[in-house]
Amino acid sequence: MIRYLGARLVQAAVIVAIVATISFALIHIAPGDPFSAVMDNPNVSERVRATLRAQYGLDRPLPEQFVRYVGQLARGDLGWSFSHDRPVSEVLATAVPNTLLLMVIALAGSFALGILIALIQVARRGSAVDHALSGISLFFYSMPDFWLGILALLTFTYWLPIFPVGGAVDPVMHEYMGLGGRIVDRLRHLALPALTLIVLASAGVARYQRAALLDVLPADYIRTARLKGLTEREILRRHALRNALLPIISLLGLSFPALLTGAFFIEKIFAWPGMGLAVVNAIGTRDYPLVVGGVIIGSIMVTLGSLLADLLYAWADPRLRAH
Amino acid sequence: MPGPTQDSAPINPPRPRETPLALGVRWLLRWRTSRAALVVLGIIVLTGLLAPLIAPYDPSAQPDIVAAKDLPPSLAHPFGTDPYSRDVLSRVIYGARLSLMIGVLATIVSLTLGVAYGSIAGYAGGVVDTIMMRVLDALLSIPRLLLLIGILVAWPRLSVGALVLFLGFTGWFGLSRIVRGQVLALKHAEFVTAARALGASRRRILLRHLLPNLVSPIVVAATLGIAHVIVLEAGLSYLGIGVPQPQASWGNIIQDGADQVATLWWMSLFPGLFMVLTVMTLNILGEALRDAYERRS
Amino acid sequence: MAALKRARLLCLLISVACTGTESPSGKATGGTLVISTGGDPDILIPALLSSVQAGQITDLIYDRLAMIGDSLSIVNDAGFTPQLADRWTWGADSLSIAFHINPRAKWHDGKPVRSSDVRFTFQSTTDSTLGSGTRPLVTNIDSVTTPDSATAVFWFHARSPQQFYDATFQMPIMPEHVWRGIALSAWRGSEPAKHPIGSGQYRFVRWVPLAVVELAADTGNYRGSPKLSRVIWNIAPDFNAAITRFLAGETDFFEQLRPENVAEVAKHPELRTKQYRGLSYAFAQFNLRDPANVARPHPIFGNRELRRALTMATDRTTLVRSVYDSLALPALGPTVRAYPTTDPNLAQIPFDLPRARQILDSLGWRDANGDGIRERNGRPLQFSLAVTGTSRARVRLAVLLQEQLRQAGAKVDVEQLGFPVLIERLRKRAFDATIGQWNTQPSPGSVRGSWGTGGSRSTSGTNYGAYESPVFDANVDSALASFDQSARRAYFTKAYETIIQDAPAIWLAEILPTVGYHSRLQLAPLRSDAYWAHIADWWIPADKRIPRDNAPTATSVAPSESAGKKAP
Repeated sequence: MIRYLGARLVQAAVIVAIVATISFALIHIAPGDPFSAVMDNPNVSERVRATLRAQYGLDRPLPEQFVRYVGQLARGDLGWSFSHDRPVSEVLATAVPNTLLLMVIALAGSFALGILIALIQVARRGSAVDHALSGISLFFYSMPDFWLGILALLTFTYWLPIFPVGGAVDPVMHEYMGLGGRIVDRLRHLALPALTLIVLASAGVARYQRAALLDVLPADYIRTARLKGLTEREILRRHALRNALLPIISLLGLSFPALLTGAFFIEKIFAWPGMGLAVVNAIGTRDYPLVVGGVIIGSIMVTLGSLLADLLYAWADPRLRAH
Repeated sequence: MPGPTQDSAPINPPRPRETPLALGVRWLLRWRTSRAALVVLGIIVLTGLLAPLIAPYDPSAQPDIVAAKDLPPSLAHPFGTDPYSRDVLSRVIYGARLSLMIGVLATIVSLTLGVAYGSIAGYAGGVVDTIMMRVLDALLSIPRLLLLIGILVAWPRLSVGALVLFLGFTGWFGLSRIVRGQVLALKHAEFVTAARALGASRRRILLRHLLPNLVSPIVVAATLGIAHVIVLEAGLSYLGIGVPQPQASWGNIIQDGADQVATLWWMSLFPGLFMVLTVMTLNILGEALRDAYERRS
Repeated sequence: MAALKRARLLCLLISVACTGTESPSGKATGGTLVISTGGDPDILIPALLSSVQAGQITDLIYDRLAMIGDSLSIVNDAGFTPQLADRWTWGADSLSIAFHINPRAKWHDGKPVRSSDVRFTFQSTTDSTLGSGTRPLVTNIDSVTTPDSATAVFWFHARSPQQFYDATFQMPIMPEHVWRGIALSAWRGSEPAKHPIGSGQYRFVRWVPLAVVELAADTGNYRGSPKLSRVIWNIAPDFNAAITRFLAGETDFFEQLRPENVAEVAKHPELRTKQYRGLSYAFAQFNLRDPANVARPHPIFGNRELRRALTMATDRTTLVRSVYDSLALPALGPTVRAYPTTDPNLAQIPFDLPRARQILDSLGWRDANGDGIRERNGRPLQFSLAVTGTSRARVRLAVLLQEQLRQAGAKVDVEQLGFPVLIERLRKRAFDATIGQWNTQPSPGSVRGSWGTGGSRSTSGTNYGAYESPVFDANVDSALASFDQSARRAYFTKAYETIIQDAPAIWLAEILPTVGYHSRLQLAPLRSDAYWAHIADWWIPADKRIPRDNAPTATSVAPSESAGKKAP
């Protein structure tokens, strides 16, 4: 187990290194110098430019720039965000927790809802309910994230004003509320973006889980259980679900990229101050250090996510555990 | 999902000498949902192909930019008009043409790259294979959308061709893994060793054994890939870095009306519905095919 | 005796307590203003900022020596009102102005405002190490001396009508004791940049990136306490989210309504709109130089007659109506009607499509192969039109223009670019045509930078299309040198007529800013260049207040405290 953990960690580190290289390439193959916004600005004095050049080693040959870059990354220095006028790591440090909050809640919610739907479908397979739920989950699965986001924003904040319109907290009142009030405020603002993401993601989970459960059901041990006289529900609960647990965990690991992409659009539409919104705006302002920083952090998140999923899988699967 | 995965009844074994393609088509025709999906998809594709004949107006024409803009659906304009007084129905029809074309072309690029990369990795083996797979893992860990945005934003003059290429460049990761798996399996298969011993050339092995085994994952990847690209292109157009004006793609039309969704609801609803419909049918077909091929083996 | 004293003291205390919430004018103070805005400020240093939001915030935190009048007159000191300077004296030869600093003026940290602060501000702004965009605007000022701590004397190189304007408008005064210890090149990321200390009627409270900027009233301010206790900017980059918040009552003020929003607002009885004359105009600018080789004229736009033909082919009135509805007027030229020096009846190139086609034919551009696009010597009449994707109106203008010019036989490729990418291309003169918009300064002289020869030749100039006309330059210079308002107007009219007939751009729209606001807000007059100029006079009657108006006001948060508050 420890050996497995060690091997996976090394793997993860290698992946992050490659992502960093790709990010470095991204900065430099783009037509136009990423620092030109500052460097070509004639109002900026030569002394400032020289300082930036020295700091980032812009006048050095490319390999040396790369080494410098990697060194900075290792120290946690992701560069300077021009559009925010503060270090990239500082901008992301405030933004990433918001994205994580959204993703974790969406993950938990979508898995809970998706598995529930799958269970219902399998318990009544072949019935009208099963068909209807399949159609609905296919519908939401095929839907572009931003479309549902826009519709949700309009429906539940404007036509039926139930939720506040975007943001993480009330911009005016939050600081002055009591602890209870602040929690409620946060929840109210979290509700709609999280629900939208949950609906979008649970469709995929439901479909996947239904297929996984159906695969497991014909198995021998299930037939034995049926012969033993257990009810369908007990079978589902005791045997099928536990064995379909493994695919759930692997799906967990696979969900991260899609969830991150979904969060990206949702953050933009609901003005949720997370990493996705920061990167979208950074792209508009051509703040490449922030874009690349976001890409790196995003990749790290995805890698860690799949690493965790793999570990969970290894722990859950008794076959793997005994080696 | 209803249909192929619905029951565990034994399927008809593949008929002798039946190509994977024929098996797939036969399977699709057997189930009601996939038949319906084929019909719907066929209609949409036909709409796109016959666009110049079907569309009631020129999709770029701006007949009256003051009085005829932002009109809700009516008999004259069943899908309404956009802020430039262009007819939305015509644009949706031409949008089918462009969005599908982008989907297909980008997927062709992805498939080619995926097969090439996976074959090389699987065939080379050893260190080369490991390195290639690690790079693949890294690429897979970057969400495709972020990667695309990072690339596209740097290229100012975006033609549809460039868009297709970049979409294609970012969509081959999953397939290459599968291809590599197939190549690896093939490398170690006994009959290959036997065939080699008997003097069969590598090319013959490739043609007779590898390619047929690849058809099924490719077909599945293609179908699902097109669906994915359509959604992705819509997202990119929504962010403003997709299809340029005055051409119409589904994502493009939504973007034109994106900041007035409440008042110009017809610009989000109709292209969105068409998009969801197309993607749904492609998903149904792709998954049905995947089922068919899984069952056979 | 002691009892009387005590009684008197008690009366004093009671009266102080009673007037505690009364401003000098008698109206009760209090209330919160929440402004809906589309982006973060870039940097809160007046000399370095370039975003509108940063300008708004710093205008409330920092004071100038004197404030420009609402009529935007910039000749000498007519119309200007005292701010940091309570009076000023012109030198005998008018080459100097001595400003007397208001003795009660204090910085938000309690220290008094001194003339050395004024000198420091001038020196920093004009130091090339800082890289301030204000530097080229104050070249007429030679130096600032400080005979004593309450007097700052500005010395000028030459006599000009804009002397006073240059000295006061361009430079909000910054505290020397806060900034002196920081190297100019390090100003950008420094601590004081994140927690600005000024002398204005509002203090900085906090800035949560991508979310909120909050200012609180400086109740002990030397000019009196502002009537609103708090001003908050609510940042929502997504227009949909921003307007929905406003319509839902989460924000009180929306800066730039679009035509369709006006109808929406009309449906809400508690919301109002207000329109005022602005200082922005939009245009489609031609690059008169060849992007491949700036020494050569542009193969298409180098020809004056062709440019006039393209202008003639554009139905500008309909274009503006379509994009802006009633929220803009057709532009007269590189100017706005708010300037006292602009003649609203300037002669225009008329919309005449048949005539335009004739001219193009006569220039040799004909459609030989019947594809609808004219060619000449094998070269099609095709060019790219670059526009920033961030402005919906400009994108619409581009697409409509594309179609209109197609009717005349030209093929236009609309290129939507990110804003910084566009600016870079413009700086490098690497474009054919672009849709641009200038939000001009109160001085009509700003036209020199964007359409004058100086702006074309210099690397920091903004005359990206390289329009160079000695006649235009001469008339603008003469106008700016005249002390007589009617003479200025005459010269500007000549200058504008010249540039209109030369058609280096198609003059599209003069925008009429339309704001939306909650009816409980009592606004002060909205100045054309800065609607926020009189925010300190906006107020909310006590009986109309809503819950968030009455929330307790935070005092200015010290840097160490707010560091913990940064994470939302």
